[in-house]
Amino acid sequence: MLEIKNLHARIADDGTEILKGINLQVPAGEVHAIMGPNGSGKSTLAYVLAGRDDYEVTAGDILWNGESILALGPDDRAAKGVFLAFQYPMEIPGVATMTFLRASVNAVRKKRGVKELTTPEFLKVVRAKAAELGVKDEMLKRPLNVGFSGGEKKRMEILQMSMLEPSLCVLDETDSGLDIDAIQIVAEGANKLRSKDRAMLVITHYQRLLNYIQPDKVHVLAHGRIQKTGGKELALELEKTGYAEFKLKAA
Amino acid sequence: MTITTMKTKAEEQLAEQFARTAPLLPGGAWVPAARRAAFQAFAANGLPHRRIEAWKYTDLRAGLKEAFSPAQCSTRTFDAAALATVLGPDLAQLPCIRVVIVNGRWQAKMIPAGQEPGATYHMGSLAAVLGQPDYDWMELCFGVSTISDADTLGGGAVVDPVMALNSAFASDGVVLSIVEGARLGLPIHIVSIVDADAPMATATRCLIKVGAGAKAEIIESHVRLGESPAQATAVTQISLEAGAEAHHVQHLAANGSSAHLGRWDVELAERAIYRGFQFTAGGGLVRNETHVSFTGPDAKFDFSGAFLGRDRDHIDTTLVVDHSTTGCESRELFKGVLDGHARGIFQGKVIVQPVAQKTDGKQMAQVLMLSEDAEFDSKPELEIYADDVACGHGSTAAEIDGDMMFYLRSRGIPEDQARALLIESFVGEAIDKIQSEAIRTSVMNIALAWLRDLPAQAAPLKAAKAATPNKARE
Ligand SMILES: Nc1ncnc2c1ncn2[C@@H]1O[C@H](COP(=O)(O)OP(=O)(O)OP(=O)(O)O)[C@@H](O)[C@H]1O
Ligand SMILES: [Mg+2]
Repeated sequence: MLEIKNLHARIADDGTEILKGINLQVPAGEVHAIMGPNGSGKSTLAYVLAGRDDYEVTAGDILWNGESILALGPDDRAAKGVFLAFQYPMEIPGVATMTFLRASVNAVRKKRGVKELTTPEFLKVVRAKAAELGVKDEMLKRPLNVGFSGGEKKRMEILQMSMLEPSLCVLDETDSGLDIDAIQIVAEGANKLRSKDRAMLVITHYQRLLNYIQPDKVHVLAHGRIQKTGGKELALELEKTGYAEFKLKAA
Repeated sequence: MTITTMKTKAEEQLAEQFARTAPLLPGGAWVPAARRAAFQAFAANGLPHRRIEAWKYTDLRAGLKEAFSPAQCSTRTFDAAALATVLGPDLAQLPCIRVVIVNGRWQAKMIPAGQEPGATYHMGSLAAVLGQPDYDWMELCFGVSTISDADTLGGGAVVDPVMALNSAFASDGVVLSIVEGARLGLPIHIVSIVDADAPMATATRCLIKVGAGAKAEIIESHVRLGESPAQATAVTQISLEAGAEAHHVQHLAANGSSAHLGRWDVELAERAIYRGFQFTAGGGLVRNETHVSFTGPDAKFDFSGAFLGRDRDHIDTTLVVDHSTTGCESRELFKGVLDGHARGIFQGKVIVQPVAQKTDGKQMAQVLMLSEDAEFDSKPELEIYADDVACGHGSTAAEIDGDMMFYLRSRGIPEDQARALLIESFVGEAIDKIQSEAIRTSVMNIALAWLRDLPAQAAPLKAAKAATPNKARE
C-alpha cells in the first residue's frame, strides 16, 4: 500500500512550495487516477515519489508497504518497486536503447537479489515485450528515445515498466501524445500489470484513458492538495464541468 | 622595437643539446644545413608564449621548465606480448602492418605473410634514407615554416617552433608511400614507444604519400613504458594525391608529467578524401596541431577527436584549415572530458580564400566538465573571403545533465553507473566517427579503461622485460 501523509514539497532552487499537504492512500491491487488543472502539481508529486532531487520534502512522509522511502535515492526506490512513466521521457544521445534496458533490468534485479539476466535471456524478454507493445526493432537499435516521436517515447516507457516489473506504477500523462490505437495498446500493457500486490497511480487529463484502465478511485489535485476524491464517475463529471470549482476555491 | 628576452633554462638546454648531438643525427648532403637552419630559426624566437596568438593558451615558455636530453636507445625489444603492455590488448591484437619505433628509433616491423611491401606500398626508416640521393624531395619537408603575422599579434611572421625543433632533432621515423590505385588489405600501425628510466626527449617524423586513387588506413600510437617524464615532438606530413582516400588515426596515451608536441600537415589533391581522428588520453602537456591545405578542387576533409584529461592535463587541439580551391568540404567534431584541474583547448581556424567558392565547412567542439576546476577554452575562427560558402562552428562546455541522471537512476541504475554511462556515451559519439570497426572498438576500450581509471596496460613492466625474443621480420 502507498501512503502519502501530509506531504509538503518545494522547488529546491527557489523554495517555491508546490505540494501543500497531500494525503493519499492507494492500497495494493487498486488503480487510482489523479486529475487536475495544468500546473497544479501532478508531475511534481510523481517526481517526488520517484525521488527527484530538484524537489525538497519539507514535511510529511511517503510510505511504501509500511516503509518510508524518503531517504532512498531514485535507483533504490526503483529497486523497491517504484516506477515512474515520465510525462516527457528524456532523450539520451549516445546511449544505445538495448544497453540501457539491460543495465536497468540487471541493476534492479541485482538490488532485489534476483539473478541477473544473461544476454540471450534478456534479448528474449525484450523482443517478446517489444512485440506486444508495438515497439519496433528499429527503435531498439537507436540511442535511447533520440528522435522518437511523442507516442514512441510513451511506448518505450511502458516497455521499460513491463521489463522492470514494478509494484508501484506511476503513469504521468502516458496517454497524451498517443493515437487512439496506441492508447489501447498502452492501456493493455498497464492492465496486464494489474495485480493484487501492485498499486497504480494514473495521472491524466482525459477521461478516455480511464475507459481502458478502470480506476478504483479518482482524485482531483489542485493547488498542491487533493481537493476531492470520488469513484470513476468523478472523471466523467469533471469532463463536463471542468476545474472551475477548484479554481474558485483557491481564490 | 625589438624586445630581447632572456633565454629560459629550457631554451639554453636545447641549444646545448643541439650543439652536442647534431653531428650524431642521421642524414648527409643537405640535411645538416637544414637542421642548423631549423634550429637557428627556432632559437631566434625561442619557445612560444602567450603573446603569440597561436600559442595563447599553451605557453611553452611557462609550461616547459626544462628540456630533457635526447633519448638513448632502448635495449628492450617489443614483440607482440610486450606491445600488449603498452598498447592494451585490443590494439596489440589488431591485424595490421606494424612498425615499432622505440625512443625515437626504428626498431622493427611486423608484417603478416602476404602483406610485404612492394606491389602496393613502400615503407622504410626515415633515418636510413634521409639525405640519400633519391630522397632530395624531403628537403622541402625539413624547410623552415612560419606562422602567419596574424598569429603573432602583429609581431611579424615567426617560425613554427614544433616543426623547427622536430627538423633540428628528428632522429628517425617512417617514410611510407602507397602505390597509385592500391588498396591495402590491412591498416598500417606506426607505434612510437618511449621506454624511459630517466627523463628524455624524442623527435620523430613520418612522411606519408597516398598515391592517386589509392586507399589506406594509418594509425599512429604514441605510448610509453615507465614512469619517467618524457618530451616528444612528433610530426607527420601526409599528402593525398587525386582521388586518394586515407583514414588516419592518432592514439596518444601518456602520463601526467610528459609533454607531447604533435603536428600533422595534411595536403589534399582533387577529390581526395581524408578522415582523421585524434584520440588523446591524459598526457600532461599535449598540443595536437594540424594544418590542412587543398591543392585541388572537390576534396573532403573530415577530422574528429576525443580528448580525456584529469589532474593537471593540458590538451590543446589546434587546427588550421585553409580552403584555397573550390568545392571542398571540411568537417570537424571534437569531444572532450575534463576532470580535476584539467584544461582543454580547441582552436579551429577555417580560412576560405576568395577563389574557394562552394566551400562547405562545419566545426563543433563539445566538452563535458566533470569538475569545477576544469577549464575549457575554445577559439573558433572563420576567415571567409568568398561569398558562396556554407560555414559554421559551435562549441559547448557542459556538466553532466541532471535530468538525464535522474531518468537513468529512476530506472534502477546506480549513480556511479549512470554517470559512467553518460560520460562514455558522450565520448562514444566522437569515437563513432572512426570508420574501421576494429580500430574504433580498440580506441573505445582504451577510452573506457581510462574513464574507469584502470591502466590500459594491464600487465606489469616485468612482463615486457621478460618478453620472448623478437619474432618480427626485419
Ligand atoms: N523544477 C521546477 N522549477 C520551476 N518551477 C517548477 C519546477 N517544477 C514544477 N514547477 C512549477 O510547479 C507547478 C506545478 O508543476 P507540475 O509540473 O507539477 O504541474 P502539473 O500538474 O503536472 O501540470 P500539467 O498538467 O501541465 O502537466 C507549475 O507552476 C510549474 O511551473
Ligand atoms: Mg505534468
